[in-house]
Amino acid sequence: MKRFIADNGSVIVLLALCAYYSFVTLGEQHPNTPAAGREVAETILDASPPAPAVVIVSRDTAQDRTFTDAVRQAVESGGGTVLAVVNGAPTDARMALEQVGGAFKQVDAIATNDAASEWGPLQPDRLQQASQKFPGLIGVKVFKPRSYIWPSFLSRENLVNVMNQNAVIAIIAIGMTMVIITAGIDLSVGSLLALCGVTTAVAVQQIAGGANAGTIGLLGACLIGTGVCTLCGVFNGVMVTWFRVPAFVVTLAMMMVARGLALIVAVQYQSALLGGGTEGTPEAVKIEAISFSWLGNGSTGGIPNPILLMLGLYVAAHVVMNRTSFGRYIYAVGGNPEAARLSGVPVFGVLILVYAICGAMAGLAGIVDASRFEGGRPNAGEMYELQVIAAVVVGGTSLAGGEGRIFGTLVGAMIIAVIQNGLNMAGVASYEQKVVFGGLILAAVLLDRFKRQ
Amino acid sequence: MLRLCTRLSVSTSILLGMILACGCTNGSSSGTSSGSGTGETTTSSGASTGPVTSRGTIGFSALTLKNPFFKIIADSMTAEGKQHGFEVLVNDAERDVNEQAKHIDNYIAQRVAAIVLNPADRIAIGPAIRKANEAGIPVFTCDLQCAADDVKIAGHIGTDNYQGGRLAGDAMVEALGEAGGEVLILHFKQANSCVLRVQGFNEAIAEVNNRRQNGKIEVVSELEGGGLRDEGFKAASDALQAHQNLRGIFAINDPSALGAWTALKQAEKLDQVTIIGFDGQLEGKQAILEGKIFADPIQFPKKMGVVSVQNILKYIDGEEYEQIELIPTELYKKADAEKDPELQSSPAPAPAPAEVNANPELKNIRFPGAAPTEAEV
Repeated sequence: MKRFIADNGSVIVLLALCAYYSFVTLGEQHPNTPAAGREVAETILDASPPAPAVVIVSRDTAQDRTFTDAVRQAVESGGGTVLAVVNGAPTDARMALEQVGGAFKQVDAIATNDAASEWGPLQPDRLQQASQKFPGLIGVKVFKPRSYIWPSFLSRENLVNVMNQNAVIAIIAIGMTMVIITAGIDLSVGSLLALCGVTTAVAVQQIAGGANAGTIGLLGACLIGTGVCTLCGVFNGVMVTWFRVPAFVVTLAMMMVARGLALIVAVQYQSALLGGGTEGTPEAVKIEAISFSWLGNGSTGGIPNPILLMLGLYVAAHVVMNRTSFGRYIYAVGGNPEAARLSGVPVFGVLILVYAICGAMAGLAGIVDASRFEGGRPNAGEMYELQVIAAVVVGGTSLAGGEGRIFGTLVGAMIIAVIQNGLNMAGVASYEQKVVFGGLILAAVLLDRFKRQ
Repeated sequence: MLRLCTRLSVSTSILLGMILACGCTNGSSSGTSSGSGTGETTTSSGASTGPVTSRGTIGFSALTLKNPFFKIIADSMTAEGKQHGFEVLVNDAERDVNEQAKHIDNYIAQRVAAIVLNPADRIAIGPAIRKANEAGIPVFTCDLQCAADDVKIAGHIGTDNYQGGRLAGDAMVEALGEAGGEVLILHFKQANSCVLRVQGFNEAIAEVNNRRQNGKIEVVSELEGGGLRDEGFKAASDALQAHQNLRGIFAINDPSALGAWTALKQAEKLDQVTIIGFDGQLEGKQAILEGKIFADPIQFPKKMGVVSVQNILKYIDGEEYEQIELIPTELYKKADAEKDPELQSSPAPAPAPAEVNANPELKNIRFPGAAPTEAEV
């Protein structure tokens, strides 16, 4: 039992957090579906005189349209008449009511959903006021779908959000886990993310053809971006192995160099766009190819693409770490490099490859970021290195090397994500959030200590 | 060692528990404040009850709450929202557009009534705003504008930064007098509002230079001050080394202006160089009263928060409002600071004026020549 808790501590913490936030965010949910629309229509048909005249009001969104269409069909098939359908802003609702009410048509009921029922023109005092000028509105009643109790944390939308928002951190954390298992560290990941984003953006605009870029051109641009970051990773690895510079120092230097390069490329590019006369500003390099945002903002089978990419990479990394000799070498190098060398493990090669993978993962994350924001941001990924290291540590990987699991890191990243999501939803200021995260990292390391004893 | 560890872990878990509990109270209050869930809600014949009915939540993603300017916007928005029955959820983007996009996703999941933003990146925030547009949630910007394509912004309230920059330029001309001289600009290029300020400043100065034969004002350097005290300090110290005859500094906000003041103090050039700031936050006004800063074009963050909420109210009520409103700045000098009730009534700034009174006397004894300029400023 004790062993089970020690081994799966992070999973238990994650589940406990989810349960906690589910309890805290328990509240009313307001359906906005076609089924809810039919329910409202039936209530109206039951409560009003036969053949009621109805105005339907909701917002201008795809989901709201399915709601209004359902209400309209159900009211009409039940013998009522629909005087007006509003899919728009509150102003549109006011104008529609004034028009219908002013035409001396009696309005019996207004059907709406929860969001639109908050609008001013549908409030009782405003309707009463309006009915003095527009007699058709006298005695009108507002109907909306019945609500039900469910934690808003556990809505599909929110859970997908949590994963989607933190896919970038989780992807970088794959490479970081490998580096930390070899008892190293990589502080340059945040800057490499920015460098890749900016390089890819410039490549899309200049080489792949900007707005007219085809799929192959976009893939090529992404390869250039990730390639640059992989080379930076190789450089880190070479410095750590052949030149015996501590990983902390090499990657700290790379963090500054890569950030500077990202800023230089972005500023030079903006300056070139403006004709070279003035110095550019460190703003995002805009990517005009519309299809480029598919990776960051699109979804496949209802699941956002960054999540799919993240899960795919985790499965691949898990296989590499547990089923290949390269994976075993990584653990061996982290556990005892001298013993590994004596038993024939190519220590230098493994280390260089691990740093290259870490750079490549940061690059991939940079592409997701650039795709999500439709531009390469030279300021992207600031302080990500610390968030990523936190995710790895919370996930149970030992900073001393030789120990750790890939999926543990995913759980660690999600723990941090869930805490942040819950605190954001509750409106807790970022000051307190920092205290929580600091405490969390400390607690995770202490747990690690106890496990060793 | 083990005992220490146990003690540490206990205290950590207590800490965690406390923070989670604080999240809990906020969360549950938002839950209970939402309206009742019956099928039939209102009739036009029934009288409305209660002084303030709940009108839902406004999500505000602030640029950075480390800068008091945005904290004031957040606070005034919360207070104004409360009066009209809105609960205002404030989140800190910490200048990171990625954080801000997360906030918007959360607001959409929480189905807020409206979103207010200080865009952390005027272009990269576009996709996130588009998502809110698709979810039918109105997005208002405040202080900083959004420049992305294909986004629907329901309203904007901000400062007329170009006009503010011109005022700063006029103040610099006044401070330097007929002699003119070398001027440093502490910039924050990332923010478009600051680009406009510097543009206004440069144009106001260029106009004066065109009228003058000699005594021209020359901008010798434009350095990145980050809008922060430490970076402003570093940039100003370096510039003072490079330009020994510097006579004026225009800083695009108060923190970087105060950073520059520290640099001047270390270089013992307080009487040679005049600082013009921007914003008129409490610390800036205080510094003007103390004579550290010559003048500030001041902005009105409180008004921004209040008008943002009022615009949301008008939007929801289906009334007309000004879609883009730019509030002109006003120049604020020492004479204004002496009359400012904000600086007299609050207890914290009280000791500072005493220092000001004490300083000239000391100066009088040591440097009779320097005293008048210091006192005037």
